[in-house]
Amino acid sequence: MKHYVLVRIKTPKKTSLLLKLNRLNVDIKEIVYEKDSLTFKIDKQDLKKVKKYLVSYQVEILDETGVYKLKKELKKNNLIITGIFFAVIIFMILSNIIVKINIIHEDSTLRELILESLKEEGVTTLSFKKSYDEYERIIEHIKDEYPNQIEWLEIDVEGMVLNVRVEERIIKEYEQSDSSCHIVASKSGIIESITTQKGVAEVSIHDYVKKGDILINGNIKLNEEIKESVCASGSVYAEVWYHVNAGLPLTEIKETDTGKMRYNLMIKKGSEETVLLKSRVGEEKRVENVLLFRIFGFEFYLQKEYEIETSTITYTEEEALEKGISLINEKLELKLDNFEEIIEEKVLQKELKNNNIYIDMFVAVKEQIGIKEYF
Amino acid sequence: MRIIKNLQNFLYDQDYYIDIYNNCLHVYYYEDLQNLSSTLIELKLKEFILKIEGKDLIVSEMDKHEILIKGKIDAVRFLR
Repeated sequence: MKHYVLVRIKTPKKTSLLLKLNRLNVDIKEIVYEKDSLTFKIDKQDLKKVKKYLVSYQVEILDETGVYKLKKELKKNNLIITGIFFAVIIFMILSNIIVKINIIHEDSTLRELILESLKEEGVTTLSFKKSYDEYERIIEHIKDEYPNQIEWLEIDVEGMVLNVRVEERIIKEYEQSDSSCHIVASKSGIIESITTQKGVAEVSIHDYVKKGDILINGNIKLNEEIKESVCASGSVYAEVWYHVNAGLPLTEIKETDTGKMRYNLMIKKGSEETVLLKSRVGEEKRVENVLLFRIFGFEFYLQKEYEIETSTITYTEEEALEKGISLINEKLELKLDNFEEIIEEKVLQKELKNNNIYIDMFVAVKEQIGIKEYF
Repeated sequence: MRIIKNLQNFLYDQDYYIDIYNNCLHVYYYEDLQNLSSTLIELKLKEFILKIEGKDLIVSEMDKHEILIKGKIDAVRFLR
């Protein structure tokens, strides 16, 4: 391949120069006529000939052409090009690396199990991403390995984070139809209602029963002779009684927002939190964190700092008592189902001690007391 | 361009070519450039001398046997 260079030869007699070049049998292209010069492309070998024989002319090499020009430019900018090249390579490597594995399930044992299985398959943090087919194979392998624990598994790659969604397999232990059982009282109380689905009811409404008494019998008798044994089922509601103690302070510290809010930045690595800027709302504050992004295990948060004011509220004895009762009711109601309710409550004793009020209460509750007892 | 010309030359097996375009003249396989000015260019070919007359005549490309002339061409003569 010929190596052309762009040259300029200064001369007022252009035709004379061209004739001389023609005598030298040189190959010239793209001739441009300028005021006192000729510019053209000439083969590098021919240029040597020109310099040798046309010594009276001033030959100026302006530029390289074609591939050689590209080569020259590359050589000139080699530092930038090398930098870009390495940046692209680093970017490609980083974009193919997993920096975090999120296993989305509430059970920590199952999370550990999945994490261990992924590790065995070579899926760990700071490892390279795998292909879709490879992840499918890993999913199938883990599901085959733990058929009783895993119902469904999905691996989803989101940037540099691997999200593993898992559904736990729940195997219900169905009650054996041939087993026999009674419904017995789990607590002492007075029967409020009884519904029998299987078996024979042994108690009536308003009967007092003790803990362990049979409420619905699984043995079906005829003339004192057991004809059939079934697993009794049904629901028995009774009035049961609780003796509840509660203590609460007469004074309470209450926090209220002043309306002043300032932004801050926070970096979190594991459980360690580092606030970047000095707080501008003082010591008494409430903080809300908004996650901006995650990178290499670091989480960057935008912090909203709300200034708060604290005030001390002092309750009278009656107010504290009322608050204590409502607190007890709230806690009891959390345990009750739709058919259960608080029937009656009575304060037995109240005592003021060390700026606290202590309450003893009697509470009567309508509650399901029937539980199965196999025989 | 040269590849095509060489191919044409091979296929037609001619000693020379003269192509005339609009304000442009291309000669393939001339032997010598005898005269060169902005109004007259004389090229020696195998059997005759090619005399190109015109105004603002310039050589645009040139090598040992091939030349491209541009300008306002008024006449092209063959002198045997």
